[in-house]
This record gives sequence, structure tokens and C-alpha cells, in this order.
Amino acid sequence: MRSAESLAAVLLAFALCAAGPSHAGAEAVRQEAIARLKLQMPEVPVANYGLGAAAFDLAPGGVADGAATAIVEEGRRLWQKKFRNGKSLGSCFPNGGRRIAGTFPQFDARLKKVVTLETAINQCLLLNKEPPFDPADARTMGAALAWLRAQSDGMKIAVRVASPAAEQRFESGRELFFMRTGQQNLACASCHLKSAGRVYGDSAILPAVGLAAQWPAIRGGQPVTITGRIRDCLARMGAAPVNFSAEDFAHVEFFLAYLSNGYPVRANVSRGD
Amino acid sequence: MRPLLRSFARAAFVLVACSQSLAAHAQGIEQGRELFVRKDKGNCSACHQVPSDPAIASRATVGPALSGLRDRMPDRATLREMLVDPIRRNPEAIMPPFGKHEILGASEIERVIDYLHAIR
Repeated sequence: MRSAESLAAVLLAFALCAAGPSHAGAEAVRQEAIARLKLQMPEVPVANYGLGAAAFDLAPGGVADGAATAIVEEGRRLWQKKFRNGKSLGSCFPNGGRRIAGTFPQFDARLKKVVTLETAINQCLLLNKEPPFDPADARTMGAALAWLRAQSDGMKIAVRVASPAAEQRFESGRELFFMRTGQQNLACASCHLKSAGRVYGDSAILPAVGLAAQWPAIRGGQPVTITGRIRDCLARMGAAPVNFSAEDFAHVEFFLAYLSNGYPVRANVSRGD
Repeated sequence: MRPLLRSFARAAFVLVACSQSLAAHAQGIEQGRELFVRKDKGNCSACHQVPSDPAIASRATVGPALSGLRDRMPDRATLREMLVDPIRRNPEAIMPPFGKHEILGASEIERVIDYLHAIR
């Protein structure tokens, strides 16, 4: 019986490798990724994928630390700071931004684009005639996100891909995730799918499924946004100057967040460098 | 006396040449090890362990642990091809194309091969 199960697992692995990524809709892509990761990391329960480095023995950090507390406090200050017109970031979001992070990114049918928390914050700033934040800047966007996502800690991620237009953006994110690029000729999938659970340098490579649960992460005492992290990965691949547009980043985040559906938001977890 | 001196001179020449060649080979291995480790060069130890080389401290498991490579791949050309462009042999490979994308120069790849072949 056991050998029959092993044979079935091997056949499924071959089928997945031969077929490549599916085009059959977001949920099929998510299930395919989970199936692949289960084969690759049989010792890690699927429910633990959202724990990040803590799911692996090598886990550095894994808990919120003093740096995170200071960053969240700075984010709260930014969030409550009055604009010149008397409004604040909190005025742009339902419930002042509490318990919303698990539903982002969202496809906005009116704008015909994917809206991430970063873009929603910047839309709010621009609407109120304030200068936008750099999506990868730790001091502003990182801190604001650290506070915002901390208000959703424990909320299960529930990103919807509910229309053909949204599906198109998800597909764009999927293609970018699988696209080899840079001097290293690597794709995001080379590490976070094909090598998930293995050790690179001194750190376990986190699986694509569950990856979006832990943003921002605290690295070297600074909050690193998902955009910042993707930029860093692209630079490591030797793809600098980064050839992704703002929309490309949003589509990759949309893809990753959907793959993380059902995992609870765990903001501001400390990770190694 | 003269033939004896000539033989002695020949032997000395061979010994000097051999020792110089050995020294150059050892230097090549050392340069290869450095390229293997350097983050701005091969950075191979980020993905591979070398259990028999205590100078390489790596816990990496992305690629296979490297040992006895000379026995498994005695042909330098095969190893060179893998380092230059691994995709040619395996389209699914996730090792960077060190030669094709000019991460390492041709002579640097030879030094890495020297090191890889010296690993027990």
C-alpha cells in the first residue's frame, strides 16, 4: 500500500513537471502548488506553510521583537498624523484600517487594476494632496504597513479572484513568478516552489504557499514590505536595474496572496538578514 | 663523470618542473575554492555543501552535497559544460549559467573545476 502511494506520488510529480504550471484558474494553480510542495516537503504540514521560517528547524527569529514594537509605534504615528486638510490615513479605510489586510490585494473593477495595501495607502495620500510613499521604503511605507497589518494579525487571508479581468491579473502574476530573469537566470519559482524547504546559505527557503502571510517581515531591524522583498530577490538574481513595473509588482503580490488564502496574517515577524 | 652529471641535471630539472607544476595546481585549487565561496563570484557554497572540506562551512541543501566529483565526472569538458550553461543539459536546472551569463570568466571556471576535481 505504501509503495503504491509512493508510486502515485512519483507519477504526480512527473506529471506536474511535464505539464508545467496550469492555466486552469486561480484555485487550480493554488492546489497544484500545494500538491507540488507536499511532495517536496512531506515532513512539513501544509497548515504550517504560513509560519514562515518557524516551520523549519533552522528558523532564525520567528517572533516579534523590540524592533518590531518600535516600528509598529512609528506606523501608528504615521497612520494618525493629520494631513494638511485635517484628515489622516485612517480616514481612507473602512474601520480605520482594522481587520482589512487579509482581503488585500483586491482587483478594482472600476480602476481596472489590482490595488495592494501599498497602492491603497498611496492613493489615499494623493487624494489628500500629500506626497506618496516609496513602496519599498522601510521608514514610511514599511512602518505604515507594519501598523496596518498588525491590526489584522490572526485574520485569515481571503483574497478573491472573482472575474475574468481579475483572473487575467492573477495569470500575469503567475507568469512573472515563473519567469526566469537576471544574470542568475532564476525565477521566483526556482526557489519558492522548486527548492522550497531547502537551505540557501543559512536560511530555509519559504514555500510560495503561505509566503504572503508574513508581511512586512522585520529584517535587520527594518520592516521589509513585499515589494521591497521582491525587489531584493530580483537584485540577487542579477536583474538590476529591476525591470518590473509597479503593476508587475502588484500582480505578483496578488498571485502570492491568493496562494496564501486561509493562512492567518502574521505581521512583523523577525527574520534573519 | 659527464654522463652522470647530465643524468643528475635532468633529474633535477624534472623535479623542479614537477614541483612547480604541483605548486601551480595547488594554487589553482585554492583559487577555485575562493571562487566557490565568494558571494560576488560563484557563491556555490550558498547552495552546495562540501563535506570533505572543513574550510567550506555550509548547511545548504539547494544543490547536492559535493563529494567524489572527480570519480563521478572525470571529464573536465562535461563539468565545464554544466558550469557554462546548465540549462543545455537540464532545462529545469536552477544553477546559474556561470559562463554564458559571464558570472565567471573562462579561466575562473577552469579554477573552479580544479577545485571540484580536488574534492574527495
